[in-house]
Amino acid sequence: MKLGIMSFAHMHAYSYGDVIRQLSGVELVGVADLDQERGKQAADQLGTTYYSSYEELLKTKIDGVIITAANRDHRELTEMAAAAGKHILCEKPIATTLEDARAMEKVTREAGVKFQMAFPCRYIPAVHRLKAQYDSGSLGRLLAIRSTNHGRMPGGFFIDPEAAGGGAVIDHTVHLVDLVRWVFQTEFREVYCEMDRSFHDIPTEDCGLLTLELANGAFMTLDPSWSRPDCFYTWGDLYMQVVGTEMVTEVDMMRQSLERISFDRPNYQWEFWGANSDYYLVKEFVESFREDREPSITAQDGIRALEVALGAYESARTGRPVKIGLA
Amino acid sequence: MKVGIVGLGTMGTTHAASYQRIADCELVAVADIQLERCKTVAERYGVRSYASLGEMLASETLDVVDVCLPTHLHREHVEMAAAAGKHVFCEKPLARNRQEGEAMVEACRKAGVTLGIGHVVRFFPEYRRAKEIIESGQLGKVGTVYTYRGGGGFPMAWQDWYANYQWSGGLTLDMIIHDFDFLRWTLGEVKRVYAKSTFGRAYNRLEHVLVSLRFESGAIANVEGSWLDIGGFGTKFEFACEKGLLTYNSKDATSFRSYQQRTGLESVQGVAVPESVVDKDPYTQELEHFVGCLKRGEEPLISGDGALGAVDIAMAALESIKTGNPVTLSSERG
Repeated sequence: MKLGIMSFAHMHAYSYGDVIRQLSGVELVGVADLDQERGKQAADQLGTTYYSSYEELLKTKIDGVIITAANRDHRELTEMAAAAGKHILCEKPIATTLEDARAMEKVTREAGVKFQMAFPCRYIPAVHRLKAQYDSGSLGRLLAIRSTNHGRMPGGFFIDPEAAGGGAVIDHTVHLVDLVRWVFQTEFREVYCEMDRSFHDIPTEDCGLLTLELANGAFMTLDPSWSRPDCFYTWGDLYMQVVGTEMVTEVDMMRQSLERISFDRPNYQWEFWGANSDYYLVKEFVESFREDREPSITAQDGIRALEVALGAYESARTGRPVKIGLA
Repeated sequence: MKVGIVGLGTMGTTHAASYQRIADCELVAVADIQLERCKTVAERYGVRSYASLGEMLASETLDVVDVCLPTHLHREHVEMAAAAGKHVFCEKPLARNRQEGEAMVEACRKAGVTLGIGHVVRFFPEYRRAKEIIESGQLGKVGTVYTYRGGGGFPMAWQDWYANYQWSGGLTLDMIIHDFDFLRWTLGEVKRVYAKSTFGRAYNRLEHVLVSLRFESGAIANVEGSWLDIGGFGTKFEFACEKGLLTYNSKDATSFRSYQQRTGLESVQGVAVPESVVDKDPYTQELEHFVGCLKRGEEPLISGDGALGAVDIAMAALESIKTGNPVTLSSERG
């Protein structure tokens, strides 16, 4: 199976490139990036060919592409890849507008190519334990969730409101929203959001707090802030405290880390030793077209998560709770 | 200073012990409707016991009445003590709502007595240290805040009063009011409140609350409280600021741990016995401060007026829980 990567605007592209090399029977044929310097450097780093245009990459005999461009460009690249008959693994969020997201679902369905969303958190082993706990009934009925997805301020297109569709809220809301939808098989009904720009001198918001109502009767808060200092000992966190009628369970992904304290800077660092969820994400993508089946994380999942993020912006604008989508 | 306590639940008995450690201050009497409990405490400290505040006031010469009763009984007893010309220390929350609280403040003002409220978190050294650091400006502007309190299970008490929402106001008014008060003390006034509770969604002893607070300063806080069992009582906070983070977790930040061994075959696990090991416990400091203010004729750190601000936040949260809408606080209050 042959893959290509379209754009290195999103830093996850490097990790996806790495895991492709670890997957047996999968080859990274090339990478395309309109930013020549960044593209060439990435190609060198990953030991593959650089293409200066997406068209050139799409002309090669690749089966699929990973789209890691700026959020706004996901639609255009998806349309190009679908027209070329390539399967698509698309970085989150799916797009910056629902119109774009729906167009992406339509064009990939009509072209008969697989479309998978990059929600790697579904492959965190602790999340699987949580799902098993819930599915078996031992957690009881879901009552409440407190969650955080903190990070450092990423810079780049992430802080361009046009290219990213927002700031910290659109960047970090979708992971936890997707996880909760998947683990508890429910939808989000309503969102209330406070947001602000408090930490950095940037054009977008860098912090917020979402309070959400779920269709199954539970509620949730989600802190998506870029509130970790640059010197923070890891990239951030992905945390959920889940309150059920029978059990309270915490999922704290990054806690599977060693603490490293050294004489040299950075003096204190966490060394993560947990599972690499990107590996399983890309593996699932490849298997979906190898076995010709629907990928487990679909465009619909991308759309549902985007609806919640966009609802949060509307709530912050209006100061009111906002109803979401179909639920 | 001669002190009488009315109400000998967890906090009344804690205060009784604290008064023994305060100089120039004497616990002389205790009152509780539960006579056995009252006698036990009275005997322990060699003081007289009464069945009610009325009886205690009629027979004793007191300077201070310490009210450690369930919340719905605060007003009646504070007003009675004030009318008798006694200074009053009243457990938090001040009252079940603003109206009651204002009446209590007014009654004390009229009687010319001092009213102090037991927002004891202001005397916890970890919280005081955090306030100092935030106020020093070393970390810059505060962007987001998280606080947590609870995890020790549902509180059991006289007539199961915590389970009566009309009496206690539940977790929101009874417990996380500590965090409302601390955050207001540290960050200033709250502008907007939005909150969710499991109350009405589950068995009411499983109360878990998540509150969103927006401060006038711009800071956004997530206040979490729980009456569920989450591995024992604990508190946490995180201040995320422009120039760094300030975090605390009571489970980690302890200088003393001991584990009770079980000898039975049914279990090999230890049970944690958490202890706060400080030179002077916060309850004693809180009461010492109050008594000191009376002697010096100063206003205590947490007067009735100050405590009204925390009641406003809790009431706004309860309203938001009920209506599903954000509640805006008027900035003139408190």
